Amino acid sequence: MTTTTTARPDLTRRPARLSWRVRLRRDRSLILMTLPAVVLLLVFNYVPLFGLVTAFQEYDPLAGVWYSTWAGLDQFQRLFGDPLFWNAVRNTLYLSFVQLILFFPVPIALALLLNSVLSPRVRNFVQSVVYLPHFFSWVLAITIFQQMLGGAGALNHFLRNNDIGTWDVMTNPDTFALLVSSQVIWKEAGWGIIVFLAALAAINTDLYEAAAADGAGRWRRLWHITLPGLRGVIVLMLVLRLGNALTVGFEQFLIQRDAVGYDTADVLDTFSFYYGIATGDYSYGAAAGLFKSVISLLLIWGANKMAHAFGEDGLYRK
Amino acid sequence: MGNELNRRSFLNAAVSAAGLVAMGPLLSACGGGPAQRAGVGSEAALKAVLPAYVPNTSIKPDIASVAGGPDVLTNPGFLSYPTNRVATVSGVPGKGGKYSAVTPLWGTIPPADNAFYQAMNKALGVQLEMKPADGNTYNTIIPTMTASKRLPDWIQLPTWWNSQMNVGGLVGNQLADLTPYLSGDNIKKYPNLAAIPTSAWRTGAWGEKLYGIPSFATGFQIAGLLYYRHDVFDARGIKADQVKSADDLMNLGKELTDAKNGVWAFDDIYRYVYTSFGAPLKWRVDNGKLVHLYETEEFLAALDWCNRLAAAGYVHPDALAGDNANGNTRFYGGKTLITSGGTGAWNLADSQSGKAANPNFRRGGLNVFSADGKSEPRVYMGAGASIMSYLNVNLKPEQIEECLAVANYLAAPFGSAEFTMVNFGVEGTHFTMVDGVPTATEAGKKEVQAQTYPFLAAAAAAVSNPGADVVTKDYTSWQIANVKALVKPVFWNMNISMPQAQATADAGQQVEDAIKDCYHGKKKVSEVKDAVASWKTSGGGDKLIQWTNDNVLQKHGTGQ
Repeated sequence: MTTTTTARPDLTRRPARLSWRVRLRRDRSLILMTLPAVVLLLVFNYVPLFGLVTAFQEYDPLAGVWYSTWAGLDQFQRLFGDPLFWNAVRNTLYLSFVQLILFFPVPIALALLLNSVLSPRVRNFVQSVVYLPHFFSWVLAITIFQQMLGGAGALNHFLRNNDIGTWDVMTNPDTFALLVSSQVIWKEAGWGIIVFLAALAAINTDLYEAAAADGAGRWRRLWHITLPGLRGVIVLMLVLRLGNALTVGFEQFLIQRDAVGYDTADVLDTFSFYYGIATGDYSYGAAAGLFKSVISLLLIWGANKMAHAFGEDGLYRK
Repeated sequence: MGNELNRRSFLNAAVSAAGLVAMGPLLSACGGGPAQRAGVGSEAALKAVLPAYVPNTSIKPDIASVAGGPDVLTNPGFLSYPTNRVATVSGVPGKGGKYSAVTPLWGTIPPADNAFYQAMNKALGVQLEMKPADGNTYNTIIPTMTASKRLPDWIQLPTWWNSQMNVGGLVGNQLADLTPYLSGDNIKKYPNLAAIPTSAWRTGAWGEKLYGIPSFATGFQIAGLLYYRHDVFDARGIKADQVKSADDLMNLGKELTDAKNGVWAFDDIYRYVYTSFGAPLKWRVDNGKLVHLYETEEFLAALDWCNRLAAAGYVHPDALAGDNANGNTRFYGGKTLITSGGTGAWNLADSQSGKAANPNFRRGGLNVFSADGKSEPRVYMGAGASIMSYLNVNLKPEQIEECLAVANYLAAPFGSAEFTMVNFGVEGTHFTMVDGVPTATEAGKKEVQAQTYPFLAAAAAAVSNPGADVVTKDYTSWQIANVKALVKPVFWNMNISMPQAQATADAGQQVEDAIKDCYHGKKKVSEVKDAVASWKTSGGGDKLIQWTNDNVLQKHGTGQ
């Protein structure tokens, strides 16, 4: 082997970096367009972060952030010794896990089903119908469930009048996880399919024709073309879902907390609300909120790392 | 038209929305920061500054007030609107000063600088800039104003938000001390203010000084009562006044519940029934020792009874599922026949809503009873007023006097010329008399809101439901029948500021949650007992009791 180096083209080399001045001039209009969004993000998402300091204080709204007593880690000490807090953590993780198993695959399946419907009229109709519940508030969604499945609802009215006994799904703590998952499916599955439908539309139809010509059946095409085409999006959604594992919803649990009891329905967000804000114990609520944020950050970072390890894009291309 | 009275139903709604008991500033909490706070003062010193009480006799009600014990008085009732509208203020109270005023409003905000405001400014002789703000978010806008020390000249701070708005920390610092102007005989300069009962002024007092100007003061303030469907009871021949014990009520549950037809006897009633079992409102003094409600046997007995009521299937399933928002709908629709709530529910608007669902609708109130049927029936009194306005500490003495003169105009008694102007506007422009009832015109509906000026100052409450005399008669006769049952709870009408740790324990969220689950039939009484035990030790309950004993009971007594 000779050591003479021929001028081998460097495939990894990027075009020469332009100076920031040139790039600024080139991207000027794009930057201007993102500016409002960036300002919005700064003002509403980053500036309020300074409020996190209250988690380390005995925050007094009258004295304000600057003059409240410094408490160090007292709030966290109290938090970690509070059985109600750990109960909320447990509920959050459990509900999150159940929803991951039961809810996550539903929009994908629904998107695949819808995609296989040929008549555009039927498809649009079905899509509109499954979309609709997303625009209902949780109050309304739960009222509908209560009217249908509650102790005085349609189902139990029927059962009672036929002397079959009653079955109050809405106040049963044991089946609460299933109940909230089905509520989420009813309300959000239709909305969730949008992103998958978009990914499906991006798959080159030539692939299907070629595969069909080669004699691949429906299932083989699904397995070898559709699912690999969706994989990137599925992984992205999974990363986001895992990062949000500690955010299972707020209103849904707030509204149904009295129905099944706090030991079943309290999640981290309702815990912060009831034991922080509602009792004026702001610092305690802030400490619980900060704990949740830190864990969420770790989760999303970990999930993203994992996605990269599997060769997927995750949240961003490495 | 129930302009003047709609406030009652909203008060009820607002209080339940705020998640607090409608008992006024019994205990109000604030954080433990460095700011100076006022609290309870010495009883003797406070007595010395409380304003003199000079009742107004110029307008005779159709149903006169009946006195119970000290500070207890039923509300007067009016069946017709007085035709002879007496003027109680001579001349124009103001001297041309300019003031801003912020009040909460549960309803549509009237247009700024409208004809009604202009007419009021003319009548008052001041430029009073009214800035009503949405009542539903009021508790969130006030802390931003107080944090930046930019309160308006005149502000309404409802007492159920005392702790959230930190009124104990604001009085003297941002809110003006009115003691020099109103104490003792000084108030006689403002005869309509002098006609407001003393207990209401006490509600606005912090640390031996007067700060708040009360609206709608009443000598009959209670948390609420049990309501029943008068029309349904009549039709079935059930006599409501024969309910004299908890057993009677339980039997009624069996008789009235017909689940197959979607009818249940009860909605949630625990909050208004536990004191019937002899439990204290919150505190009790046993042989000189301060005892918290959670520590009493009677409290557990009440819970046990409510738990059995739910288990027996006499409570509507939606109520057990925590859906309180539709409680009225269930009651109007006859899905529940016995419910509970504040006295604010008993008014014209309620009667109209009920009649829309069922033309026979008639609300009745169960008499106060004792659970065992033998003890003396008792219901605990609340503070003398819950709507309280304050003046800014930066106002000069002559400005404060001008505002108090304006308050005197606004506090004119029911049916007077000034009252008519404040509540209904200008005759011919904002209202016309139809069958003896002041009826709003289109302009009146848009511009005149009962929750603007009367929230700065108003006369003692009177019962009037034009066009629905039966409501006025039912309500006033219920008050008269039960006036003897009213007793003052421990720490009655005292404004107490406590450090954050005690305030958190006082809210007792974990116990309150367990209580709710228990009367909804989901937790056993023993589980509530466990929650109380952990509240006492790790939840700060014992420290709260100690603190309250040392700082309130030992220093200021029971206030009874």
